[in-house]
Amino acid sequence: MNDDAFRAEVRGWLAARLASAEFGCLVAAGGSGRQHEFVAERMAWERRLGADGWIGLGWPEEDGGRGLPWRLQAIFHEEYARANAPGRVGHIGEQLVAPTLLTFGTPEQKARFLPGIAAGTELWCQGYSEPGAGSDLAGLRTRASLRDGEWHIDGQKIWTSLAHVADWCFLLARTSPDAERHRGLSCLLVPVRQPGIEIRPITQITGTAEFNEVFFDDARTAAGNVAGAPGDGWRVALGMLGVERGVSNFGQQLGFKREFESVLAAARGNGSIADTDIAARIADAWIGLQVLRFTTDDALGAGAPGGDALAGVAANIAKLLWAPWHQRLGELAVDVAGADATRAGPDYDLTDTQRMFLFTRAETIFGGSNEIQRNIVAERGLGLPRG
Amino acid sequence: MDTPEQAALRAVVRDFCARHAGQGAWARLTGELGLTGLAIPEGHGGAGAGLAEVAVAVEETGRVLLPAPYLSTALAGAVLAEGAAVPGGRGVAGFLPGIASGAQRAAFALGGSLTASGGRLTGLAHHVLDGAEADLFVVRAANGERDALFAARAADTVVTPTGTLDQTRSQATVEFRGTPAVPAGGAPGRAEDLLRVMLAVESAGAAAHCLDVTVGYLKTRVQFGRPIGAFQALRHRCADLAVEVMSARATAYAAVRAATGSPAELPVLGPLAKRHCVDVFWHVAAEMIQLHGGIGFTWEHEAHRYLKRAKTSQLLHGNPAELRRLVGQRAGLC
Repeated sequence: MNDDAFRAEVRGWLAARLASAEFGCLVAAGGSGRQHEFVAERMAWERRLGADGWIGLGWPEEDGGRGLPWRLQAIFHEEYARANAPGRVGHIGEQLVAPTLLTFGTPEQKARFLPGIAAGTELWCQGYSEPGAGSDLAGLRTRASLRDGEWHIDGQKIWTSLAHVADWCFLLARTSPDAERHRGLSCLLVPVRQPGIEIRPITQITGTAEFNEVFFDDARTAAGNVAGAPGDGWRVALGMLGVERGVSNFGQQLGFKREFESVLAAARGNGSIADTDIAARIADAWIGLQVLRFTTDDALGAGAPGGDALAGVAANIAKLLWAPWHQRLGELAVDVAGADATRAGPDYDLTDTQRMFLFTRAETIFGGSNEIQRNIVAERGLGLPRG
Repeated sequence: MDTPEQAALRAVVRDFCARHAGQGAWARLTGELGLTGLAIPEGHGGAGAGLAEVAVAVEETGRVLLPAPYLSTALAGAVLAEGAAVPGGRGVAGFLPGIASGAQRAAFALGGSLTASGGRLTGLAHHVLDGAEADLFVVRAANGERDALFAARAADTVVTPTGTLDQTRSQATVEFRGTPAVPAGGAPGRAEDLLRVMLAVESAGAAAHCLDVTVGYLKTRVQFGRPIGAFQALRHRCADLAVEVMSARATAYAAVRAATGSPAELPVLGPLAKRHCVDVFWHVAAEMIQLHGGIGFTWEHEAHRYLKRAKTSQLLHGNPAELRRLVGQRAGLC
C-alpha cells in the first residue's frame, strides 16, 4: 500500500472520529497521569477502532490482522499521536498479549482470544510484578496449581495497569514450586471478573490511580489457558518484555515534540525564556529530542551504518535515553511555570505540566527499571561479566 | 545504514588503520586507497563518491586518531568540488587532482578576521587544524559586505606551526599577506557546518573506540578475585557510555544525511551534531581514564591522546555553549 495514501486514510479517520459528538471529549484524554479520565468513552473508542480495522495492523491476515508492514504500522502510530488521540485501554492486549499468542499460542488460543482483542471488546492487563518481585521478577511467589481440570491461583500482583477495566489478565505464576526459580513459571490467561480476584487501585504521586494491586484467592482459569508450555513461562514472559521495550513506544516522538512545544510556548508566554539558564535548558531539551529521534530511528534500522553488538539492545538503549530526557523536560516545565506550579486545584487537580513533572518519575522505574536496562546493556550489548 | 559499497569501504579503511596507523600512512591512504578523492568527481581524479563516503573514512580514521590530515584534506576536496561545479567557483577545479592524489594537503581557515580585496587575502587565521602540513587552505574572508569562500596556496602565506595539546593533529597560525585567492564558489556557512559534521563523525568513531578499549580492559583486569567489569558500579557506567556512543553515531550520521540530502537542515544539524558528539567523546574519553585507573593516566597508554583530541575538538569551531546558542537561534527557539 502507498504510504501517503495510508497516512491520509488514517489521518482522515482520526479527524472525523475525534470531531464526532461521541468521541470529541477524547482529544488528549487518558495519557500519562490521566488514565482515570473518560474510561467508558475510551472503552467505546477501542470498540470503534476494532470495528473499523485499526487494531492488529501488523498481525497476519489469517489471524484476523491486516498484515501491514512495520512502516505502515509506524505511520498509524505517528498519526495517532499527531491527532492527540486518547490513551489506549486496549494496548496491552493488542501490543503485548496478541504478539505473544501469535508466537507461543495454540490455534485454539488464537481463535479464542485474538478476535476479542481485534474487536476492542476484550481488554487485558498484565500480571508480572509482585511486592517481593520487582526487578527480580523471577523471584515471584504467586502460585498456580492444576487440580480438577483448572488452574487454582493464589498470590498478589502489583503495578497492574488497567486491571480495573480488564476482562483478562496475562499472568506470570509459579506452577512448579520445586523447580529452579526460572524454570517453574508459567504464563496463564486468567479471567479477571471472578470471585477469587480482588482489585485495589494504588493512588500514586499524581493523586490519581494508574495502577492496581490484584489479589488472587483461589482464582481459577481453565487448564488450557496457558501460553506456551507449562514451565516455559520465563521464556514467554521475556519475549513479551522484549515487545514491550520495542514497538509499543511508537508515536512517542510526536507526543514528546508536542510537550516540548508547550513548554517552549509557556516560556515565551511568561517571559522566562529571557532567563539564560532557562533558554539554555530549552535548547538542550530540543537537542536531546533530536538525538532521541535519531537514535530511535537507528533502533528501527534506518540510521547509522556499520551496526554492532549494541544493535541487539537498541530498545534498552532507547529507554535509557528517553526516560531521563522526559524527566528533565518535566522539571524544566515546572521551572518555567515557576511559583504557579506550586499550587494545586480543588481535589488535587493538577495541570498537565504538573502531571508530566510527577508522572515522569515512574518512567525510569516501569517496564524494567533503568538500572535493569543498564544490566542488560552491559551484559548483552557489551559482553561484560555478570556480577 | 551503509550501502554495500560503504560497508566495503569501512572494512578496508578499518583494516588499513589497524595495520598502518604510523609513519608512511599518508602515501598509502592516498595512493593505494585514494581516500582523499572520495568526494571528488572522476573527471578531476577522484572516486566520484560523496560526503557520506568521506564520513565513513573519517569515522574509521578517527577511531585510531590517524596522525594525518585526512579529515581536512578529504573535506576540502568535497567543498572545493562543490564549488567548482557552480559558476564563480570554477577556478578551484585545478586544486582537485592534487587533493585526490594526496599530493596536496588541505586545511580550513574559517575563523579569524580575514579580508579579501582585489583577489588577495589579508589577515591572520589562528588554530588552523592540520595547518602545519597544509599545501593549500580553504579560507573564509570578508569580501565587501559578505563573507565568501576562497582557496589559497600555503606557499603564498606565512605558516607558523604551534605546539598542540593534542599531538596527533597539528595546528598553525596562518598569515595572509596579499595572498592570491581563488574564489571557491560555495557558501562559507556550509563549509563550516560540514566541518562540524565531520568533527562530529570523527568524535563518534573515536568515542566508540574508547568504549571498546575500556570494556575490553574491564573484562580482563582482575581485582578482588574477579574481572572488575563484573562490578555493577562500573557496568552501569559502561552501559551509560554505550547509550551515549550509540546516540552520537546516530546523530552524526543524521547530520551526514542532512549534508548530502537535506541541505536546509544542515545549519541546525551541523552545530547540533558537533555539540552532542564531541561532548559524548569528551565524556567517554574522561571515563576511559578513570575506568583504567592508574594505567590510564600514563603517557604510554593511548587514553590521554583521546582526551586531548576530544577537548581540542570541543573548543574549536564552536564551543559547547556557542553551539547550543547557535542551535537555539537557527532552530527558532530563542
